[in-house]
Amino acid sequence: MAIQSPAPAARSLDSAETRVEQPKTRRLSPTAQYYLRRLGLYIITLWGSLSASFLFFRLLPGDPISGIITQLQTRGQYSNLAQSEDMVKFYKKEFGLDGSLWDQYINYFRRVLLHFDFGPSVLSYPSPATDLITRSIPWTIFLIGSATLLAWVVGILIGTLVGWKRSSFISSWVTNFCLVFSNIPAYFIALVLIIFFSYRFRLLPASGAYDASLQPSWSIDFILSALKYGILPIIATAITGAAGWIIGMRALVVTLLGEDFLTYANAKGLTQRRILLDYVLRNAWLPQIAALGISLGAVVNGNVLIERLFRYPGVGNLLVDSVVIKDVNTAMAVVTLLIFMVLTINLIIDLVLPLIDPRVKYGD
Amino acid sequence: MALLRLFKENGKFRFGATITLLLIVLALLHQVIIDWRLGSGADPLKVGAYPIFQDPSSEHWLGTDRYGRDVLGLVLMGLPVSLTVAFFAGAVSTVVGAIVGFAAGYKGGKVDTVLRTITDMFIVIPTLPLIIILARYSNNLGSAELALILAAFSWPFAARIIRTQVLSLRERPYVELSKMTNMNDREIIFGDIFPNMAPYVAIGFASASVGSALALVGLTVLGLGPSNQMDLGRLIADALGWGVISLHKEIIFIAPVTLLILLFVGLAWMAQGMEEYFNPRLRSGS
Repeated sequence: MAIQSPAPAARSLDSAETRVEQPKTRRLSPTAQYYLRRLGLYIITLWGSLSASFLFFRLLPGDPISGIITQLQTRGQYSNLAQSEDMVKFYKKEFGLDGSLWDQYINYFRRVLLHFDFGPSVLSYPSPATDLITRSIPWTIFLIGSATLLAWVVGILIGTLVGWKRSSFISSWVTNFCLVFSNIPAYFIALVLIIFFSYRFRLLPASGAYDASLQPSWSIDFILSALKYGILPIIATAITGAAGWIIGMRALVVTLLGEDFLTYANAKGLTQRRILLDYVLRNAWLPQIAALGISLGAVVNGNVLIERLFRYPGVGNLLVDSVVIKDVNTAMAVVTLLIFMVLTINLIIDLVLPLIDPRVKYGD
Repeated sequence: MALLRLFKENGKFRFGATITLLLIVLALLHQVIIDWRLGSGADPLKVGAYPIFQDPSSEHWLGTDRYGRDVLGLVLMGLPVSLTVAFFAGAVSTVVGAIVGFAAGYKGGKVDTVLRTITDMFIVIPTLPLIIILARYSNNLGSAELALILAAFSWPFAARIIRTQVLSLRERPYVELSKMTNMNDREIIFGDIFPNMAPYVAIGFASASVGSALALVGLTVLGLGPSNQMDLGRLIADALGWGVISLHKEIIFIAPVTLLILLFVGLAWMAQGMEEYFNPRLRSGS
């Protein structure tokens, strides 16, 4: 997939250069070849990163099982403080830590792929880690999804305007402002927002995801409450993001301005509004879709801190909770899920992009 | 001399480098300033040296904290720790990234495909969770271990930049010439390519340092950094734990937050400025 765009991010993932199984696919159309190659790359990357994270967890320093048993004891699970051999054996099996590394690896993939089962959690033993994940993932999707979309749409629109009017006073002022804010971690912006909106003006809550008096449901009250609690974390993530998109979009638009087709459009006597929307925006926003997928990893990283700061019941908070007490299964489930989500969204973007951007060419 | 011209011609680099240099100078002079403000021989980390939670005054420019420590002293103690870890991690990342980027760009073919796939994977997937886990499970986590953990996940930032440049340098006519005259790989790498790599290694270093510093701050504000030393992220985490916002003593974390923001902005602008300056394709865009 070759895309004619100056966006550095869009260039880094042009996967068509990866050659997989050339002879077999020789008779397929370039489109089909591209899809097969991209899908193959997805499976290899997913397998690679999941295997790496499995190894990562198994090679962590320290003996995981004694940590787990100690945790279970301190959480009042058992009064018997001795770690008898039977007990260790029982928990090793229970937590999938028995057998050779290879056995564990096969077992892990079988359990996760076939049953979506990560074994029991320590945080709320004996509930499975999967339960904890499914409870918190909707909150994380809500936060990341709305913050990313908000930042992207606002960034694309303002970035186009800023690039279009690049020599105006406001334009250069906005650019400088964004150059600063795109480099400030969302966590710091969230801190400032909390000081003002939660403590000084007492307008918005600084912790939790919904009013404690409500039960999670699809009622209007609950949705409004979730929105109210979501505003600060979403805005904090979106400010950094939007500033970044404005900078990127501005650079794209500015390089477009010298193109011949714009001179021609001007000569034809098209209105400025028409040129801006149909010629400039249309050309510049498509490459930013690919960049969206690549930026997701950084957003997820920042979101872990944001969720922790706001005591938000998403997977980021769950991750820190589980890491603090060395709950291997839950941490592993969160990491696996996040990697899977980010890679899958990137796959979807790469598969959809050729359908909506006619300039994307398939490599041969 | 190229550095001087870069400094003169690129505003972004000028601002970024100035901010970063000021922070480094502040870090180097921390002992001098502490001695001047608190009297020589004073230990800023000593508990109960002054009354607790005092507002900023002429005596304590940034007030005092929950344990009666001078906040300016704490910030000055933390700054060099944070800078050292971030820069050390950035340096290690650059070395690893240069090797990977070089191998991928120069060898091309299958080596490039495999290395680039791995690099892209590291850039796309969220790595902070892995860093958090690794830090938590390390026994006796110290600055050096922490820097190595950060470097393990920051090298792709450097590798990507260096690979792209090697790819373009490899196709230059003078490299072709060296190849035709039967010079071996080592002569070409050190004679033709290496001398032209310096700016890109610098860009790689700045980007990898930003990446490391981001992860470092993420880790320490969660309270998962080294437990035996004060750095800027730890100070933020502690201050939040004391509930300083409701006590209206926000200055305790605003001070370290400001220094860290300056660090991020300074390093990122240096990297962006150098990229604009050395990469003509970008220069027209801004």
